Amino acid sequence: MIVPLIAIATIAVLLTAAVPAIQRFLKPALWALTGTLSAGEVVLIWFHIRLWQLSQVVDPISGISYGSFAVPLWIESEKLYVWALVLSVIALTMRRKGDELRPLVGIAAGALAIGALFSGRPFADPLPDFLAGYRMYLDVWTAGDITGAAQLASRLAGSRQYYYNTWYMWAHPPLLFLSYGAFVASFAASVLMIVRRRSSYEQVAYRWARLGYLPLTLGMVVGLPWAIIAWEGEAWWWSGKVNMSIMMWLLYTAYLHARLYLRRRGMWRVVAALAVLSFLALVLTYITTYIVPGAHSVA
Amino acid sequence: MEPAHTTPASKNSWDFTLMAITVGFMGSLGAQSFVGTVYSWWAHRTVPAWAQIGQPGFIDVMNAIAAPQVIALIVVMGLCVPKRLLSRGALLGVSLGMLLLGAITGILTRSIITGLAVYLCAAGVIQVLVIVMTLAGGRGLTYLSNSRLAKAGSGLLHLGFIVMALVVVALQHSAFMLPASMLSAVLLTVGSALAFYARPSSRAPIPVDSI
Repeated sequence: MIVPLIAIATIAVLLTAAVPAIQRFLKPALWALTGTLSAGEVVLIWFHIRLWQLSQVVDPISGISYGSFAVPLWIESEKLYVWALVLSVIALTMRRKGDELRPLVGIAAGALAIGALFSGRPFADPLPDFLAGYRMYLDVWTAGDITGAAQLASRLAGSRQYYYNTWYMWAHPPLLFLSYGAFVASFAASVLMIVRRRSSYEQVAYRWARLGYLPLTLGMVVGLPWAIIAWEGEAWWWSGKVNMSIMMWLLYTAYLHARLYLRRRGMWRVVAALAVLSFLALVLTYITTYIVPGAHSVA
Repeated sequence: MEPAHTTPASKNSWDFTLMAITVGFMGSLGAQSFVGTVYSWWAHRTVPAWAQIGQPGFIDVMNAIAAPQVIALIVVMGLCVPKRLLSRGALLGVSLGMLLLGAITGILTRSIITGLAVYLCAAGVIQVLVIVMTLAGGRGLTYLSNSRLAKAGSGLLHLGFIVMALVVVALQHSAFMLPASMLSAVLLTVGSALAFYARPSSRAPIPVDSI
């Protein structure tokens, strides 16, 4: 039921954002998208609460329970969904240059919602990796293979302790999705600045970039000790995803540094180039997770 | 944003030079990260068993290229710290002193890591001094902003970078790794927030003809 409603709201957002004649309906369309995505998020939260109540891991030999899974709300099939929700809220609430930026950010939110529905599929195929692992454990135990079930229980207990139930997984991804949302708005303003050559857009781009930089930095730095512990002995800093994340952070840091000297002659070109490059790095960082194998990757 | 109403022109130039060098090294490391990722992606797809055979060599080459850049970035960051406190001449002396201290320690212990750690600790001590003086309203500190909160933010931000660099360089296998990482996260976030939002000039519009 919720998926068709989200799909209709998404189409409405994309149409009203793309067709100037009906752009006055963009804000109601964004309200609809935010509302339906939020309703869907409530369904997903309920699903995760039920998982937490029901997904016990028990060693079939000793009978010891390892506990249940507090699966974070932004992994596997739910990543794009959360990003789409964050972006639709930003598109709806942005004030400075909001009328000009909203269509661009709205299109981005709509594109992410489409990606969430057709690629992520959080309602049709929820948490595929987690549920596949858990089902296999139950199936093996049900088939009477106690030793195999004990091995799988041990493996699940490990992933529960070091991945699903860690505080880090409840802090690192949402902080990054918040920053990604702000950076989309910053990029839209940077594009308008380059096209229209008006400094007021630069000011808006900077405001969104600095807002995004705070959760980006916090999210990445809280990830550092986890990476050191979880990937000890591995050169994790040269894995594709980590590598690109560091590049993105370096570029945004360079952008905000360079922006301090915006009034120097010709400096705005450097700042504009860094703003665009930083956002391209963000997109590549996200994609790298799925195409370049390595630590912090699902390729 | 207008750089410094209160800062002498020579200071501005020095600030700008350090900023340009910092941005240059960050851009260079960013470019290396990008090239490395693209190569890694290509090698995974085309070279059989590259993860087992080719990747260790790739990591060695990447480390060898990045190490001097990271060391240079840490050195520049260390030089950024006392610039708030000292005149250009004194700054040069202190910077050279810090470099010498790090280099001598590195030579005596035959460890670049120890040398860098000592250099970072020296930078950290000076930075704490700068922050205390800033909060106390001490005169003689030069910043790009007049706001005391923004100045404190800039100081905390740089201290956060120093602590994070210390974690990466020297504390990875220490019991202090986790608390030091959390400290750097707090310093970087609070420092960035103050530096971004307490600076009055960040709210001022830039003249249209500046673009």
